[in-house]
Amino acid sequence: MTSDPTTEVPRDEAGQTLLQKRVDRRRALGILLGGAAAGTSAVAACAPVSAMTPESKEAKLLAWREYIKGNYRTMTEAERAETIARLERLAELKRGVDVTIQSTGAQPGVVFGYGFNISKCKGFRSCVEACINENNLDRRAATQYIRIFEMEDGVIDFDHADATFQHEVPAEGHFYIGTQCFQCADPPCVKVCPVGATWQEPDGITVVDYDWCIGCRYCMAACPYWARRFNWDEPEVPAAELNTNQHYLGNRARKAGVVEKCHFCIHRTRKGQLPACAEACPTGARVFGNLLDPNSEIRWVLANKRIFRLKEDLKIEPRFWYFTD
Amino acid sequence: MRFGRVLTALACVALLGTSSACREREGTAKGDRAELGTQPGAPVPDAARAQQDSVVATRVDTAVSPGALGTVPAAPVDLWHGPGDRPFEVALRTGDPASAMSRRFGRITLRTSLRTRAADLGQYPCTSCHLGRRIVLADDRVADAHQNITVVHPQQTGGTCSTCHAADNVELLALKSGERATLDHTYRLCAQCHFSQAEAWAAGAHGKRLDGWQGRRVLMGCADCHDPHQPALEPRIPFRAPRIERIRGSGK
Repeated sequence: MTSDPTTEVPRDEAGQTLLQKRVDRRRALGILLGGAAAGTSAVAACAPVSAMTPESKEAKLLAWREYIKGNYRTMTEAERAETIARLERLAELKRGVDVTIQSTGAQPGVVFGYGFNISKCKGFRSCVEACINENNLDRRAATQYIRIFEMEDGVIDFDHADATFQHEVPAEGHFYIGTQCFQCADPPCVKVCPVGATWQEPDGITVVDYDWCIGCRYCMAACPYWARRFNWDEPEVPAAELNTNQHYLGNRARKAGVVEKCHFCIHRTRKGQLPACAEACPTGARVFGNLLDPNSEIRWVLANKRIFRLKEDLKIEPRFWYFTD
Repeated sequence: MRFGRVLTALACVALLGTSSACREREGTAKGDRAELGTQPGAPVPDAARAQQDSVVATRVDTAVSPGALGTVPAAPVDLWHGPGDRPFEVALRTGDPASAMSRRFGRITLRTSLRTRAADLGQYPCTSCHLGRRIVLADDRVADAHQNITVVHPQQTGGTCSTCHAADNVELLALKSGERATLDHTYRLCAQCHFSQAEAWAAGAHGKRLDGWQGRRVLMGCADCHDPHQPALEPRIPFRAPRIERIRGSGK
């Protein structure tokens, strides 16, 4: 670690100035229509009365209130609780699923770091499978946060690596290296966001407010690791496969036209659990822990193993280290 | 009539065998714990552990217990220990035969034990054959009785059964020091040669951690991933490859 992430000011100055505007677009809309109450009547007036069941009316009202809410960072605790209650109710009304959305904050004294043992990874992609199930990734578009590259022994060369291998692994003379969001300490994706919809949390996880994202995809262009994914459609997850343990900044339902990314399983790791990928890895190639705890596994790896990071010369300090036995 | 009497006698022997095996195992487990109590790496209550564990943070959710497998406190081994001398536990392979083969992680079921002894071995417990007998080497019956064992590792190293298994009690492992380890503590045996792996295992760079990055650590033992007789992981077909992301129509 070359910089101490805790002492750094969260790099969202641009976002803050945008957020501190007295009247933003959404609030202006809300004010114009006379707040939420008037909004209801406006929505109700627009639809034929006969077609409105009480449920669809409630859903429309909730969706309207969701539309004029603020950025997650500017919300008070009460506002956060309200929006979570609305989102949970909407999930019940629209999809008939009973989800629990957390708003757990970062633990003090914790910055997450990740280690990946390229001597151990065998390319089984169990991590990918776990990630899809855990994070409710779009089944129709087959979104995957994690990519596993198959490379020939001797050199790390992503230009000639194959991320789409589909044969019995490990293949003779090859090794495997996985990429995902590296949760950089100086994330370029956050710098370019024009609306402050993505930011770095105190525990080092870069998150996205899916209800604030405008889908411009600047962040996708800025990320040097291709870690972000765009939803061209509303993600489809069968109700039976839906993970109902969700986090507002993590694996809750995304919309069409917003960007999402790996968030180190924020709903699990903030409660002390391992990310799903680390827990699923059958080879033990994945090491996760608190960088600020000198007795953590990740610190032992950093102190005792040969380590490297990808594109270190960009100086964006990814918190994801590769190591060998 | 006479045949019936023989059957009854056989049943009695079998019953005696299993009960004595149980007593034996309980005894060794107790012995291990007693031995642990005097060591610096002895188990401490969860709360104390969490405090000792992290600088500021305490574990929020201690009730994380995927699967029904039990755990045993790890016995300390000379010369290697986890970072900060933190105590850790190893997953118990033989807790519940029904769940021993796989373990549920959140929403996926993962086959953690490639060769779980109790569930995979038809001959377990060993005392069903080995009761009161020593291991007999260089006997064709060994190969016949243990057809599910491929002896790659012993052939590579020139070992025999009794290099690792205690000759007088096959359910125990024989350490070079003359000590005996139960099958739950395979790492004590393996660490005698694979010391660098053992060090990395205790520190968290080799093998799997099961119960989270904070608070209690539960590790999988050596034999949970590696078949001791054939330690390399078996090749398999990976989970499906990613589809290349592209613009799609709305499809609605």
